[in-house]
Amino acid sequence: MVQERRILYEHLDVPDINTFEVFRQHDGYTRFEKAIAEYQPEELAQMVWDAGLKGRGGAGFSTGEKWSFVPRDIEPRYLCCNADESEPGTFSNRYVLEKNPHLLIEGILICCYAMGIETTYIYIRGEFTLGKKMLDAAIKEAYEQGYLGENVRGTGLNINIYSHPGAGAYICGEETGLIESLEGKRGQPRNKPPFPAVQGVFMKPTVVQNVETLCNLPFIVGNGVEWYTQMGPTYGDARFDPPKPDPNTGTKLYCISGDVNEPGVYELELGLTCTELIEVAGGLRGEEVKAVIPGGSSAPILTHYELDTRLDFTSLTLAKSMLGSGGIIVMNETRNIVDCLLNIMKFYAHESCGQCTPCRWGTPWVRDIVQRIADGEGRQTTVTRPKFGITESGRWGDTGETEEIYEDLDLLENVANNIANVDTMTWNTICVFGIAVSWPAVSYMRKFRPEFEAAIRESKLVTLSVAEATVPPEENYAYQQRIIPKEMADLE
Amino acid sequence: MALVKLNDLEIEVEDGTNIVEAAREHDIEVPHYCYHPGLSRPANCRMCLVEPYGPIPGAPPGTIGPARQLATGCTLTVRSAPPERKLEEKFDAIIRTDSDRVIKAREDILEFLLVHHPLDCPVCDQAGECDLQDFSYRHGHDKSRYLEVKNVPPKKDLGPDVLLYSTRCIVCTRCIRFCDEVSGSGELGLINRGSHDEIDIPRSHEGTPIQLLDNKLAGNVVDICPVGALISKDFLFKSRPWFLEKANSICTGCSVGCNVTVEYKTDGLYRIKPRFHEDINQHWMCDDGRLGYHYVNSDDRLQLPQKRVDSELVTTQWADALTLISENLSEVEADDIVVIGSAQGTNEDNYVLQQFAHDVLKTTQLGLFGQEPGEAHKFPQFTIEADKNPNTAGARTILGSANGNVVLEDDALWEKVAGAKVVYLVSGCPERPLQDTEKDALEKVEFLIVQDILPSEVTQLADVVLPGTTFAEKDGTFTNSSGWVQRIRKTIDPPGEAQADWEITQQLAKRLGGEIDYHFAGEIAIAISENVEGYGDATHQNIGDAGIKLT
Repeated sequence: MVQERRILYEHLDVPDINTFEVFRQHDGYTRFEKAIAEYQPEELAQMVWDAGLKGRGGAGFSTGEKWSFVPRDIEPRYLCCNADESEPGTFSNRYVLEKNPHLLIEGILICCYAMGIETTYIYIRGEFTLGKKMLDAAIKEAYEQGYLGENVRGTGLNINIYSHPGAGAYICGEETGLIESLEGKRGQPRNKPPFPAVQGVFMKPTVVQNVETLCNLPFIVGNGVEWYTQMGPTYGDARFDPPKPDPNTGTKLYCISGDVNEPGVYELELGLTCTELIEVAGGLRGEEVKAVIPGGSSAPILTHYELDTRLDFTSLTLAKSMLGSGGIIVMNETRNIVDCLLNIMKFYAHESCGQCTPCRWGTPWVRDIVQRIADGEGRQTTVTRPKFGITESGRWGDTGETEEIYEDLDLLENVANNIANVDTMTWNTICVFGIAVSWPAVSYMRKFRPEFEAAIRESKLVTLSVAEATVPPEENYAYQQRIIPKEMADLE
Repeated sequence: MALVKLNDLEIEVEDGTNIVEAAREHDIEVPHYCYHPGLSRPANCRMCLVEPYGPIPGAPPGTIGPARQLATGCTLTVRSAPPERKLEEKFDAIIRTDSDRVIKAREDILEFLLVHHPLDCPVCDQAGECDLQDFSYRHGHDKSRYLEVKNVPPKKDLGPDVLLYSTRCIVCTRCIRFCDEVSGSGELGLINRGSHDEIDIPRSHEGTPIQLLDNKLAGNVVDICPVGALISKDFLFKSRPWFLEKANSICTGCSVGCNVTVEYKTDGLYRIKPRFHEDINQHWMCDDGRLGYHYVNSDDRLQLPQKRVDSELVTTQWADALTLISENLSEVEADDIVVIGSAQGTNEDNYVLQQFAHDVLKTTQLGLFGQEPGEAHKFPQFTIEADKNPNTAGARTILGSANGNVVLEDDALWEKVAGAKVVYLVSGCPERPLQDTEKDALEKVEFLIVQDILPSEVTQLADVVLPGTTFAEKDGTFTNSSGWVQRIRKTIDPPGEAQADWEITQQLAKRLGGEIDYHFAGEIAIAISENVEGYGDATHQNIGDAGIKLT
């Protein structure tokens, strides 16, 4: 039985940990003091790189590498903390904000010191009223205790934090959408390049980090790189010779919801399989697993054939899915995948910012097609395909074979792929919202095609058994190319 | 300069040029909607996708191939690269605009653009000059796969001259960016989100407008709208664009001298649109100029000469009017004659007038008449000048070009007029109320000859009225306030027996034995280039469409 490995959440349940005094008693701010006393800023940035910390917000981009893009000669630079946690199925940052906001502040302090940043904006989701209240109280306390403001604890650093509530848009969780919104404009993502690391908030170099990423920093500084890299697997990228290390180190706050007995946030080392994770969450509620969404609603779905996929950044990428924000939704045999897709597509059609053409008009279209199928109005055509061969009369010609075509399924796949092509991983949109729409649409449809076909054929939603509903991997190219065996992990 | 391989062409482009412009120079179409050379580039229409080539990650050095993602041609700029980053050893960039991926991407984007776009081309003003129509025809699908109900956002009245048919809008945001960046007034914005995006002006909760789109440059949003969403009320349902003839001309609204295209049929002018000139008006013009052409089509235009009989103006024949004038002119001393040129007239008109005064009448007393100064407006990227005449600078120089000529203006002129016996005044102003001093002075004149286009306060005082022509009915050149000499072209025939101002002057001169004999405006321009300082190069041939700047 896998055990939780609580690091970020270690003191989450300590009463009054949100107050400075209690936080201080549990090593609070000692890591920041250690960072200032023992390391130069550049050393800290290198440490984060060496630790292999990957951004926890969704993209899984190496934090150290991101910091290396920030030009250190342009002033001012900004840190933008992304607390606009709005991916359906994700609720880990919320606990940090509501229960242990000082941990985030400490992470911000370390990042600010490492990157020479004086101003931090925390863009917090507007719906997190309690989170914002707790965070603001913590920031106030930190100011009072001299950890924020002018000349922090006599070190000569000036660090200010401003918390800014969002106005309720999913797209403001995208880093450039967040920056636009923070600047007071419509929350619409920017074209990249330039990336925020070069031109971010107010067109100045900006580090944008998720709450969870920043909360990892105190532990990397406090316990050292070696301690950190022991957690989670490090793979080797075989395209390079020798294989380039691809670290998936540290812990992840997995938000497990859906058909499990004990849903909630579990802090686990990266690299566990789906099956293990379901066990941690008290086991499955129901007979058998039908599907698992591994990383928030925009991640491609996993079938019961793929439950041995390891839930880390690299393995899930190779399985043509993603860890994303770690919002894991488990579905048992009673769930109808068409219905699930409709639910998700309604969300995306509502949340498209409308800036670029494919997403603005493609997303509601995809929703409408799924709605049509779910309403039992999906189109199915029996066509005669001119298949040439020896006909009954013994002559060469059209054999007149017929085939049933599910027009709406083809249309659904085609429209979704035109927003963002999931096979080539290319998108015609400005931001990755496009792929967040077409990924679920296409993967649900390909992997659970019998259920979609049944809905069209029988003109109503039909929930098939798990075995009937799922397309086996050998018949479908939507599945992973390969799963990294556990032995291959730990390159050292 | 950067060397770019564009499809199979090898082209040299300036550093920083984007692919849409680079391709346009070589007649390769990169379709686009949101991109406009005069505005910022949000790259939101995704129509101008092109395929850049570059090194393939993981492949041996030197191997190049198409990039994983297509890039928007409007934001993809090319620059000269250092030697180690050249592609195929010499190119700074390799771009394809005709690959299968690009062609498919265009089709896909067009399909999305047409999802909610109504099929109302038969009643849409933009039809015939619509980018969506053209690009759909050239790059799009032939049928729609969309079965659901289309969005039907409301039609909106945005301002004095602009209507918004929201259903046709493709949310390229050109109009919003224009109001933010060029006019700086920021009236327009987006409301709602996603597929319900709508362009709108600020409104109260009840929907009543708080701020109308009524800035002086508002008409430009109609020009830059790539579809038929923003429509000019002035042109609405007047004509199909393909029935209109076009001529390059210059706006006569003020001394900026915006380059314009006059669109007309035989029965008059239909609209005026700005034409690009880098140093003068860029892509824009103001609404005063845009909508100020209606006087040309007016039914009141002077069509025949008029003479005063018993304090009434009655129409007469040209021969009669010219005889009457020549009789009066030959009776008075040269010092008692004042010849007044017009800042509304072309350089050619004024040159012949000056020649007439100097050589035939032997008078050096010339004046300059024109519109009253109006308001000047300054926008972030545009200026409207207070001088409401197109050719003040040119007329002033040319009238004073002959030996000993004195050009009088304002009070000095009216003082002189008050003491004169015969005054030959060329006006040509669309609307010109007279000040009291001006009126008093003109009333004292014994014999007043007025050459004008419309009945006005000036013609009411005249003894003889000669029908002249507007900018739309003659060839010629204007010199703007910054010294650019630019051409206007004849589009429509003058009403009735009206004639170009220089022709009238020339006929008068001939009556009085003068030897002025030009056949067309270009000939006068050659004379100007030979005789007027600074105009050495200003022949019609040299001026062309781009104009030349006086040295």
